[in-house]
Amino acid sequence: MSLKDKCAPAVFAGASFLCAAVTLCVLGFMVSLSLPVLKSGMLWKILTDSWSPDHGQFGILAMIVGTFYIASLSLIISLPISLGCSFFMQITHKGIAGRLLKKFVQFMTAIPTVVYGFVGVFLLVPLVRDLFSHGSGMSILTAALMLGLLISPTMILFFCASFERVPKIYTDAVDSLGATPFQKLFYVILPQAWPGVLTGLILAFGRAMGDTLVALMLSGNSIMLPSSLLDSARTLTAHIAMIIAADFDSIEFKTVFVSGAVLYLMTGCGILLARISGRRME
Amino acid sequence: MSQRLPDRLLSAFSWACALVLTAGVCMIIGFLILKGGRSLNLNLIFADTRPWDAILLKRQVFGGLFPAITGTFLLILLSVGVALPLGLCSGIYLAEYASPKARSVFGFMVDLLAGIPSIVVGLFGFSITIFLHHFYNSRIYPCLLISALSLAFLVLPYIIKTTQNAIERIPLLTRLTAPGLGATKLQNVVWVLLPLALSDIASGVVLAIGRCAEDTAVIMLTGVVATAGVPKSLFSGFEALPFYIYYTASEYKGSAELVKGYGAALILLSICSMLFIFAHLIKMLIDRRAGIMM
Amino acid sequence: MKQVCKLFPYFVVLSIITFTAGIVCASELDAFKGEKGVLRIAGGTAHIPVMKEAAKRIMTMNYDIQITIAGGGSGAGIKQAGEGLVDIGNSGRKPTDEEVSKYNLSMYKWAIDGVGTVVHPSNPVKALSGEQLKGIYAGKIVNWKELGGEDRPINIYTRDKSSGTRAVFWKKALDKGDISAKANFVASNGAMKAAVTNDPYAIGYVSVGYMDETVTPIALDGVIPTLKTVQTGEYKVARGLYSNTKGEYTGLAKKLITYLLSPEGQKIVSDMGLIPVN
Repeated sequence: MSLKDKCAPAVFAGASFLCAAVTLCVLGFMVSLSLPVLKSGMLWKILTDSWSPDHGQFGILAMIVGTFYIASLSLIISLPISLGCSFFMQITHKGIAGRLLKKFVQFMTAIPTVVYGFVGVFLLVPLVRDLFSHGSGMSILTAALMLGLLISPTMILFFCASFERVPKIYTDAVDSLGATPFQKLFYVILPQAWPGVLTGLILAFGRAMGDTLVALMLSGNSIMLPSSLLDSARTLTAHIAMIIAADFDSIEFKTVFVSGAVLYLMTGCGILLARISGRRME
Repeated sequence: MSQRLPDRLLSAFSWACALVLTAGVCMIIGFLILKGGRSLNLNLIFADTRPWDAILLKRQVFGGLFPAITGTFLLILLSVGVALPLGLCSGIYLAEYASPKARSVFGFMVDLLAGIPSIVVGLFGFSITIFLHHFYNSRIYPCLLISALSLAFLVLPYIIKTTQNAIERIPLLTRLTAPGLGATKLQNVVWVLLPLALSDIASGVVLAIGRCAEDTAVIMLTGVVATAGVPKSLFSGFEALPFYIYYTASEYKGSAELVKGYGAALILLSICSMLFIFAHLIKMLIDRRAGIMM
Repeated sequence: MKQVCKLFPYFVVLSIITFTAGIVCASELDAFKGEKGVLRIAGGTAHIPVMKEAAKRIMTMNYDIQITIAGGGSGAGIKQAGEGLVDIGNSGRKPTDEEVSKYNLSMYKWAIDGVGTVVHPSNPVKALSGEQLKGIYAGKIVNWKELGGEDRPINIYTRDKSSGTRAVFWKKALDKGDISAKANFVASNGAMKAAVTNDPYAIGYVSVGYMDETVTPIALDGVIPTLKTVQTGEYKVARGLYSNTKGEYTGLAKKLITYLLSPEGQKIVSDMGLIPVN
């Protein structure tokens, strides 16, 4: 073996180690920079208090709740639409119409997030404000509507992939027995593909939790614990974007890193869950 | 006959969903074109400066999109330039050299990296900057280089995963041919596997380019500013197209600026769409030339 | 020959006048000739229009200079200047003694500005008392009909803690009263203006320099916030616009601040709707 052949694996492995190191470093930085806060025993307070720097309160509870509300609502909005579209592409209209829709959905993944946010501010916000005659139009509902549209392509493409993975033997068998599309879907495809559907859901939820621009531009960013769909709310991601301008030594700033760590851990758990359910697919 | 009803409902439901999705997206694009179409001219990009003077960097552009477009362009160049070799090597390692256990562990790490919210990546970049600023060299500020490196972290998973999947998709028989003839593993990778995987890797790279072009959260925390002109050095602030759009939406001063914002959104959308189409074309072209059935 | 000798004194006087006129008319921008480098500015958003115009003139005259301007609010400006992350940190409030001593800041005031309450032009409510304003922001008065307007809830907009505009408004207009947790947050003066322009039931506060026909200023205790009333002192919610540097100002920062305080710079200040100090 020449020198190149001996060194190559080391170089390739080194690159992988570097990537893994970066992943861990991100978590490491978040946690270590939040340590001053953790040390003073304020962790519980930060996770449960309300945000009121004037009164010395730096709790991010409202932001955690805001993230959950907006992400969950966008999932609820997006799930039926995504399921319906994947049924369209895989079951009911498998021909030209289905292929066209698939290309369209793939194209949707290329649309920049900031464009969704921009159109949301000038099209959706006045619509919501006038429709419900309440509030400024910037609310959980507005953000969730746009976010639902944003995460749909992810879910649809994932659902389609898992439907396609159902062994052809099964679908051929049930077709030859004379099953209707509905029966095929309900009795064969869904039971086989549901781990894939679950994985897609979890991944989309992670994507929704991690999105910054749509929430920053459309949800109003108030610090109050939201109690209704039309309330203004702030997500962890928008909170980080807004607080970054504050000074670096204050507790206020250090809470950013706690927010970052919380986000990292939440999405990390999501990835873990997705992996486990993905393994069940195989 | 009662079987027909569930089928009809299913069909109606899927049509409805497809229509809702399509209508939603078409409304967004249509709204942009309606409001911003008329602003698409050279004046939008170069404002009062003559185009050639601006492109040849003889004069600055004020009030036009040119600095933002060059900022985005440089960002893409730098971040893909860093992420590509790193991602390629990692992907090759995961596909060819890693043991199953290593594959599982590293695979998890890559998924984790892919799942990190972009703002957390930006926060990481920002904290590294502050760290270096305090302890290493106080002339380090959030700048183009830091933003590009952070963006590289963001798109690394795309390149790693597409490389790994592309190589693993090559049929086993093809993968074993060259080693069967006496080639070393490295020769197999470089001369057989990579060329075969090229089209997939290329479309993965174009995907990464698109991601760099549209990301806002990372650059917001690592050096993009509202006004900077064309970036003169790697260590200075810079403008970028997605940030310009965000900034206009938050604080436009009058309808003229707002129309420019729509125009900028249209330009960014067109850039990303063209990249998407380009990725598809690459795949089709390279696959056709290689004559591969995969 | 005799005629030339007769004309000679006039010629001398004329050349002296032209010479001195030449010196006086020479642009203050000439100080930037031959300079190169990057000047980093961040902080208060009320300063941005003036900064942008000054930067445009300087960069047009001298291509080798790059001036980057970011927002972030007064707090961010002071901290970043103090940490050495920017050369000039703008603030819409005077840095506190604590900040000055901690960061060794030098402050330079180049404009005076007011902070006025604004609503959408279609809103019939045009004047408020101090008590009413405090009640609105505290969340005690929640509907415009309580003030003679439409029967719609009041949408409050506010800035984050880093904002100097907010600090001045909170201290002088709200007497340090509470701001309701339901308030929507915006990140800059420009964003506040855009928010109020787009929401017919909004109330917010913005730098007087940013006010134009897209928002309507509210008279506070009988005084409408305009340039005039701020200048005469009749409208009390006013503040100076400062540029701060770490230590004494040097280099490009010094030249820019000197330029802002020069007649040409002060003209830019008044063009942008602020009150010059000179």
